[in-house]
Formats: sequence, structure tokens, C-alpha cells
Amino acid sequence: MSDNNAAADASIATDSASAASAETAPTAPTAPQAGQHPIIWTILGIVVLLGLGFLVHSLTEWVPAATKGTGFGQIAKSIEFPVYAILVGFAANAILSALGLRKKMSRAFRTEFLIKTGLVLLGASINFAVIAKAAVPAIVQACLLITAVFLFTWWFSGLLGLDDKLRALLSSAISICGVSAAVAAAGAVQAKKEQLAYTASLVIVFAVPMIFLLPWASGQLGLSPAVTGAWIGGNIDTTAAVTAAGTMAGEQPLQIATIVKVTQNALLGVVAVLLTMYFTVKTQREAGDTSAPTLITLWRSFPKFVLGFLIASVVATIFASNADPTFAASAIGVANELRTWFLILAFVSIGLEFSFGSLKEAGWKPVLVFAAATVVNLAVGLLLAVLLWGSFTF
Amino acid sequence: MASKPGASQTQAPNADGKFSISEDWLAFAVGLILLALCLTGIIPEGLLP
Repeated sequence: MSDNNAAADASIATDSASAASAETAPTAPTAPQAGQHPIIWTILGIVVLLGLGFLVHSLTEWVPAATKGTGFGQIAKSIEFPVYAILVGFAANAILSALGLRKKMSRAFRTEFLIKTGLVLLGASINFAVIAKAAVPAIVQACLLITAVFLFTWWFSGLLGLDDKLRALLSSAISICGVSAAVAAAGAVQAKKEQLAYTASLVIVFAVPMIFLLPWASGQLGLSPAVTGAWIGGNIDTTAAVTAAGTMAGEQPLQIATIVKVTQNALLGVVAVLLTMYFTVKTQREAGDTSAPTLITLWRSFPKFVLGFLIASVVATIFASNADPTFAASAIGVANELRTWFLILAFVSIGLEFSFGSLKEAGWKPVLVFAAATVVNLAVGLLLAVLLWGSFTF
Repeated sequence: MASKPGASQTQAPNADGKFSISEDWLAFAVGLILLALCLTGIIPEGLLP
């Protein structure tokens, strides 16, 4: 391959990668032109991201202290860092976009990497006994909810006459885990890049309000921490948004929301295999495709960070039961602080990567499908959460 | 649904999936390495703001 070809491929890969970063990259950023020093822009982007992270950290501590004793004091006390992080991310998005810098720095805003690393670290704060205890209801909930929401979305989008490949992307994104699922489904069904961009945009547009809505609604409905976590984990599409909402609801809801979401993530491979088989049979591609790629597809689609999450939980549980209790608490406390930093940076990235651009291309039908499926997801998710998690104790 | 001019040709985003998977492994490795550094005391309490 010539250098020119290699450069072109690298450029395409970068654009694709940004779209895949997925939880939040609805539009692929413009490829840097020769002579624009993309590495320098990436480094500047990282510096900006870290600066915004420090700003969020400061706001989280400063606002409650500064407003103590005032009418806003009680409200400020209850506002968790995801709120500041997302708002700061949106504000920085507007400023950097106005200055023409956002797309140049976009390689630094890796929401998916940051959230997954944060979730691996989160595994260290969850006793493996809780994961083992929660596994059965989480798997049952994931199977039932994914099936119900996927089939509804597939049916309703067919009713509106959407293309089968877009139907597969929308159904996967809503029922499993947002853009990661859409990316996996796009690979399985050979969807168009613009279809992936529409789906990614819709995921973020619907997830951001849910971050605030579900913790509030859970409080209004008087749901227990486990039911709250299961509802959040089962309903919000993107893993990053689930973590943000769970954090706002509390530590126990966050643990259950994460376990539920991670279980859905783990089932992504199964759905990708089924979609591959369906579309391979439907299009009658090369003979033999119906069986050979299934195991490979399953492994490729399996989110590897789930393994890290489980290993972290096992290691930390064994460590905590064998090491000096004071040192163990301190060491796991440091891991929790690191987790918080990764989540702050991930939530800031959500705001930084947000773009309405692709939505203009999508038209009203995918939006209607997403809205209807979200309502179904909310209702079925709440029912399953109450039935499966009502008696769960930590 | 509108489509971009010149974008009618189907483009399979295989590269997206491949990158996403490698980013997955990176998160796996970085998360566990950081945890190991915490549990061994190499990252001490009070280092992070």
C-alpha cells in the first residue's frame, strides 16, 4: 500500500472511529487536512477536556458550599456531578463550535473509552456477591425487555415503511445499549453510514433528558433503590447515560443499573448473530455464510469491558476479604475516585460530541419510531423492574 | 428519508465495529491496570484532587 493510500485509509478509519465512539458521535468529524497537525489538535483537545473536568469537579464542591443557607442551597446539595459535567460539555461544545475548533479536537473526546474504563473501575466497588445475586433477575429482565422492545420497534418501523437495515439499527439501539448496539448491528446487516449517524443522533437526543427524568420519576413513584436501578439500566439506551442517571439516583441504584446495563451489553453479541443470520438468509449471499460467521460475530460483538468489570469485582472482593481492612478501604476508595474522574470526563464528552446535524437528514419517521419505542420501553421496563427487583436486598 | 448527494451507495461501517472493539480492549486494559496500581498502593490516597 502506498503512503497516500495508507493516509487515506487512516483518515477514513479516524472518521469511522469517531462515529463509533459512539455513544455520542452522531456525525463523523471532518478529516484533518495535511499540514493541520492533527496530533497537536488531539493533545489540545485532551487539555481542554481535562480542564473542563477540573471545572466540573470544582463546581460540584463549590456550588453547594456557596449557596448554603440560601433558597437554592438544598437544590444545589442534591445536584450530582453528571449534571454539571453534561452542562459544561454542552457549553464548551457551543463555544468550541463557534470558534471552529470542536471538530479539530474531536479525536480527544472519546466518550465510549472513558465510560468503559470508568465502568471497569466501578466493578471494584461492587462486591461480587451482589453481582452473583443480581445475575438471575438481570438476565431475565434483559432477555424479556430486549425481546419485547426489539420486536415492537421492528414492527412499528416496518409499519412506517422504513428500510430493513435502518429498522435493525433502530431496534438494536433502543432495545440493547444505544450506539454500541447500533454499530454492531450496522456491521451485521451492512447498513449505510448515514443510517448509523441518524441512529446515533437519536440515541443521544432521547438519552439526555432521560438522565434527569428517570431518577426524578423514580423518586416520585417511591421506587426502591434496586427497582430504580433496574428501571434506569433497562430503559436508558446508552451506557454512559445509564451511569449518569444511576449516579444521580444514588450508589445502590447505580450498582443495579450498571449490572442490568452490562447484562444487556453482554447480550449484544447474541442479537448481532441473529441479525447476521437473518440478513444473510434474506439476501441469499455467498453459500456457507449462514453458519460460519456466527461464532466470530458473537466474539467480535461481545463488549470486552464487561470482562474487565467482572474481573475487577472478583479481584476487589478477594482483596477486601484478605487485606488489612483500613488499607483495603483506602485502596478501593482511590479506585472509586479514579472512576469518578473517568465518568466526569465521559459526561463532559457527551456534551462535547453532541450534534443535531444528522437529525436533519433523518426525517420524522425514525424520530416517531424512537419516541414510541421509548414509551413502550418505559412501561415494560417499569413492570419488569417491579416484578423482578421488588424484593431484592443488598 | 432524505439522503446525502452521492451517498446512495451502501457503505458498510465495518471499520466502526473494528475500532469499537479495540477501544473496548483498551478500556479493559487501562481499567484493570489502574485498579492494580490502586490495590498495590502505587496510586496513593490523596493523589487525586
